[in-house]
Amino acid sequence: MSQWLSEVIATAQTHQDWLAPHRQAALAELEKVRWPLRKVEDWRFTPLIPVEKRSVSLATPENTESSAPKIGELSAIELVFSGNELLTDVSALSLPEGLQIVRFSTATAEQQQEIESLLSDVKPAKHLFGQVNDALLADGLYIRVAAGKTIDTPIRISQLASNEGDQHLRVLMQVEAGARATVLEDGYGDASSVNTAFSEYVLHSEAHLEHYRFAMFTQQAMHVGGCHFKVAEKARLNSTLVGYGSQLSRLDVDVIYTGEFANANINAIYLLAEGELFDLHTTIEHAVPNCTTEENARGIVGDRAKAVFNGRIHIHRDAQKTLAELNNRNLLLSRRAVINTKPELEIYADDVKCAHGATVAEIDDTALYYLLTRGITRSQALIMLNFGFIQELINQIPNEDIAGWLLAQLHDRFVGMEVK
Amino acid sequence: MLSIDNLHASVEDKTIIKGLNLEVKPGEVHAIMGPNGAGKSTLGYVLSGREGYEVNEGAATLNGKDLLDLEVEERAREGLFLAFQYPVEIPGVSNMEFLKESVNALREHRGEEPLTAAEFLKKAKAACKQVNLPLDFLKRGVNEGFSGGEKKRNEIMQMILLEPSLCILDESDSGLDVDALQVVADGVNSQRDGQRSFIVVTHYQRLLDYIKPDFVHILADGKIVKSGDASLALEVEKSGYAFLGKAYEEADA
Repeated sequence: MSQWLSEVIATAQTHQDWLAPHRQAALAELEKVRWPLRKVEDWRFTPLIPVEKRSVSLATPENTESSAPKIGELSAIELVFSGNELLTDVSALSLPEGLQIVRFSTATAEQQQEIESLLSDVKPAKHLFGQVNDALLADGLYIRVAAGKTIDTPIRISQLASNEGDQHLRVLMQVEAGARATVLEDGYGDASSVNTAFSEYVLHSEAHLEHYRFAMFTQQAMHVGGCHFKVAEKARLNSTLVGYGSQLSRLDVDVIYTGEFANANINAIYLLAEGELFDLHTTIEHAVPNCTTEENARGIVGDRAKAVFNGRIHIHRDAQKTLAELNNRNLLLSRRAVINTKPELEIYADDVKCAHGATVAEIDDTALYYLLTRGITRSQALIMLNFGFIQELINQIPNEDIAGWLLAQLHDRFVGMEVK
Repeated sequence: MLSIDNLHASVEDKTIIKGLNLEVKPGEVHAIMGPNGAGKSTLGYVLSGREGYEVNEGAATLNGKDLLDLEVEERAREGLFLAFQYPVEIPGVSNMEFLKESVNALREHRGEEPLTAAEFLKKAKAACKQVNLPLDFLKRGVNEGFSGGEKKRNEIMQMILLEPSLCILDESDSGLDVDALQVVADGVNSQRDGQRSFIVVTHYQRLLDYIKPDFVHILADGKIVKSGDASLALEVEKSGYAFLGKAYEEADA
């Protein structure tokens, strides 16, 4: 076991709040973990060395950022965590009818019961850092959209990494039958810190969730988080995932279909600057028939940076008439850029349509020269040649304000990256 | 216009251009002929600044500017245009986007306002028509799936849109049938305005029936070994490069 994990366990044991039973269950699992995890398939390409010798600190230092970047003209219900402190006064928010937002730390006894019944119901137990989040979670938000209600204003939950400390927060959301909502989870930080941001979503029948998760942690800011979805009959999930890299950044996504005729569309973009690491693991569980998944992950990997993509689609024996497509495309900007990609289809049903593929490409020098001879600048030529396939996914984003802002962010980041 | 003085250049430590001199004045058309391996294509690459092509000695200026000191895109902005022997296919980038970016990059350099989408479309359509390419070529990926002839015509279309001061046509006739050759030649001739200059690199005299050169140069072993008027091309057509000596005769065979 690592020093860090021992400290996680020791710290969690001192928490005597209403979540204690939940924490204890996670601790029992964590005590069994055989660290280091280098030989575990799930962590084969993502070394945990940066986290191993750290100390655990849940306090939020004074110098932590206190505002999230403005997203164009987006008008959202903004909830901002700085370290483990929620800066937003939830009770002062004027929320549209049908939307309820509860802060874990101020939940009533009744709400506590509701939260406890949902906690770790969607998130699979296999995620080690999910267990850490279970054990240490400092606060969280429980969001409920009442049946049949459409919430037009996006709900934005921003996490500003604790400067030098840890950040362990949770989001639970229920989108009740026929309800619609948009949620953006974004996280930022560059100083040495550890963030485990896990979120769990339950989409009831015919619910529709437009979801965004932007993991914009860079440099020393470590992030191992996840978003997990249960999707019921005729429900629709549209999720856009964006990852920058840091010394350790990883996102685990699970989609579990619980009802027929549901569909999920997942687009993931990662853009890694020099020396960064980003790992995206996705698992789609087709446990019932007649559901449709379309997943596209595209990434650009800079010099000495490393991307890991593992996309698993598991089609259970009874999941007939499943349609599933999984595609991963990568562009390496240097000979020293690395991608470990592994699309996995595991099919036990016999009447399904599935496709998967992965490609890796490098900068085409001749094409670049051709564009330059026509007076186009090098940076513009590189954008034309290489940014296009990322832009294609951005163009699919339903929210124009978010799409415009994200395009500008990724564009600036790409221009700043050196091609070798 | 273009002045090349004692140019020596190499690729991967192999010297290809070995002391080349050439003076091109405004409005002139110079044809460069020569056997395979003489350095004809290399000259275009060196002048345009292609990576891997090293200038070891000599100078080249365009309109008084030291060409060799400029980046590839800066040379283009100073008015140099190279029509490729093998135009590059770039799937995923539309011909339209490509042409618009390049036209506006050059306009910006000249201190002109960028063209609006509508203004550009009008110009692009006219150019497309001039080289006899269907309009849907603008929407397709750059040279993606184009035939050899279509690619060459696309090069001429770019030349028309970019309005360069010096055009280097690298074997723009290779792989063309007579009709396509006529289209390419018409495109080039339409751009002759007494100011714009051309270097026409070709292996065969045929193209020069359509594009009348003021001067013909024979390039062999990295140097211009003989210069003359249009009649020199006819002479080469008739008797080959035999006058260069046995080695070239074989190389050309």
